[in-house]
Amino acid sequence: MKQSFTPYFFLLPAITLILALTIMPLIYSLYLSVTNYEMGRPHIEIRFVGLQNYIEAIMDARFLTALIRTFLFVAVVVSSEFVLGLILALALNRNFRGRNLVMILLTIPFMVAPVAVGFLWWTIFDTNYGPMNHLVVDILHLANNKISWTGDPNIALYSIMLVDIWQYTPFVMLILLAGLRSIPAEPYEAALIDGASGLALFRHITLPLLKPAILVSLLIRIIDSFKIYDLVYLLTYGGPGTATEVASFYIYLRGFKHFRISYAAALSYIILIISAILVTVLINIVRKGMRR
Amino acid sequence: MRKSAKNLVKDVGFYIFIAIVCLIFAFPFYWMIITSFKIELDIFHYPPVYWPMRLTDYNYRVGLLDLWGLKSIQDSFIISSLNTLLVLAVSLPAAYALALLPVKGKGTILNWILSQRMLPPIAAAIPFFVLWNSVGWLDTYQALILTYTIFNLPLAIWLLTSYIEELPKDIHESALVDGAGHLSTLRHIIMPLIGPSIAVTALFTFIFSWNEFLFALLLTRSKIRPFTVIIPSLIGGHAILWGAISAVTLIGLIPEIILIILLQRHLVRGLTLGAIKG
Repeated sequence: MKQSFTPYFFLLPAITLILALTIMPLIYSLYLSVTNYEMGRPHIEIRFVGLQNYIEAIMDARFLTALIRTFLFVAVVVSSEFVLGLILALALNRNFRGRNLVMILLTIPFMVAPVAVGFLWWTIFDTNYGPMNHLVVDILHLANNKISWTGDPNIALYSIMLVDIWQYTPFVMLILLAGLRSIPAEPYEAALIDGASGLALFRHITLPLLKPAILVSLLIRIIDSFKIYDLVYLLTYGGPGTATEVASFYIYLRGFKHFRISYAAALSYIILIISAILVTVLINIVRKGMRR
Repeated sequence: MRKSAKNLVKDVGFYIFIAIVCLIFAFPFYWMIITSFKIELDIFHYPPVYWPMRLTDYNYRVGLLDLWGLKSIQDSFIISSLNTLLVLAVSLPAAYALALLPVKGKGTILNWILSQRMLPPIAAAIPFFVLWNSVGWLDTYQALILTYTIFNLPLAIWLLTSYIEELPKDIHESALVDGAGHLSTLRHIIMPLIGPSIAVTALFTFIFSWNEFLFALLLTRSKIRPFTVIIPSLIGGHAILWGAISAVTLIGLIPEIILIILLQRHLVRGLTLGAIKG
C-alpha cells in the first residue's frame, strides 16, 4: 500500500506547480478571450462576448501579416543556421590547437541574454557611428551611402534575421558536432577500402548517421525562433511602421500598449494552437526519423 | 615532400578559416568591451575607433551607480538563485520517482512536462499579468520566481530523470533492502552520486532565469528592475548612453560567461533535453 502511493507523493509538488502555473493561467486566458475585458477601464462591466475576439483576429490584416512575417523569419533563419552550422561542424570536427577556446567562444552568443545580444548589435548597426556601415561602405565598398540597418523598412527585418543567425548558428553547429562525434569510424574505413569519394562518404554515411542530430537541431530552432520577441523589441520595436512586427510582438502591443487584454488573449490562443500543431507535427517527424 | 607542402597549405587555410570565424563571433563582444571604456568623443566618432587610446571608468560609475546597474544585477541574482533553489527542490523528488519508482503513465507524464517548455511565452504572459496584478504581486520578486518555474521545471525534471536513470539499478535496490526510506535514499545515496548533474541542472536553470526578458518586462515596474529590463529602458529613456549601457551589459554578462565556461562539456545534453548526448 505504502509502496504504490510513494511515487505520486514525490511527484505531487512538481505536478501541482505545473498545473497551477500552466493549466490554470491557460484556462483563465481562455475565459478572458471570450470577454470584453480591458485593462484600466474598471467602469465597463465584464461580459461574455462569445467568439467575437476570435472573429476579429482572423479578419485582422495586421495580425495575419505579422503571422506570415513570423513564418518567413523562421524559414530564413533556421535554413541559414542549418547550412552554416553544418559547414562549421564539419570544419571543426577535427583536433586542432586552441579548439577548446574556439568552442567556448562559439558557445557564448547563444547562451547569453538575447537582450544583451540585441544591444551589442544595436550599436554595431548604428547608422552614423556603427562598425557595420564602416565595413560595408568604407572597407568593402558594397554600398555608396550609409545604410539605415534598423530604420529602413526594406532592410530592418533582414537585420534582425542576421543577428538571430549570428546568435544561433553556433548552437546548431554544437548539436551537429556532437552528432558527428558519435559516428563510429568503421563505416568510413569500409567505404574507403571500397574506393568511395569524399562526397559519396558524406552523402551515404555522414548524412544518414547525422540524421538524429539534424532533426533535433531543426526541431529546437523552429520552435524557439517562432517565439522571436526580444530582438525585435530591442532592435526595432516592431518598426519602422509595422515592418518588423512579428506575432509575439503584435500580441504584446495589443495587450500591454493598447490594453486590449481580452483581444490579446484570443490572439495568444491562436498562436498557442498554431505552435501546438507545429510541435506535434515536428515531434512526430523527428520520432519517425530517429527510428530508421 | 610534395605531400607535406600540400598539408601545410591545407593547415594554413584551415587556421585562416578558424580565425575569420572567431573574428565574426568575438568582434561584437570586443566592441562592447572597448565601448564601455571609451570617452564620449571616441564613442561618437566616425570612422569608429577600434583601438581607443583614451580610457575612462566614467561609464562604469554612471552605469552601475546612477543608472541602477548594480541594483538590477542584484535583482536578477535574487530572482535567478531563488528560482533555481525552488526548481531543484521540486524537480529532484519528481525525477527520482520518474526514474526509479513504478509510476503509471510515466511516458505520458514526461511528454506532458516537456510540452510545457514548448509553450510560447507570450501565450502565458497575458493570464500571468492579470493574475499577479489581481493579487497585488506585480513588481515583486515572488511573481517572477514562480513564473520562471514553468519554463525551468520541465527542463530540470527531464535532465535529472535521465541522469538518475543512468545509475546502476542495484544501487537503488540495495539501499531499499537495507531498510532506507525513499526520502533518505534520495538524499543520502542518489543525490551524492549525481552531484555534478545537479550542478549542471542548476546552472541551466540559473542562466535561463537570468536571460529571461518578456516576463521580466511585463511583471516589473520600478521597485524591481532585472538586468534584462534595464538595458532597453536605458536605450529608450535617456540620450544615447552607449558607454554606460555597455558597462552595465558587460557586468551582467560576466557571471553568465563564467557559468557557461563551467557548463561547456554538458551543454549539448542540456540543450537537447538529452535527445543527443554530447
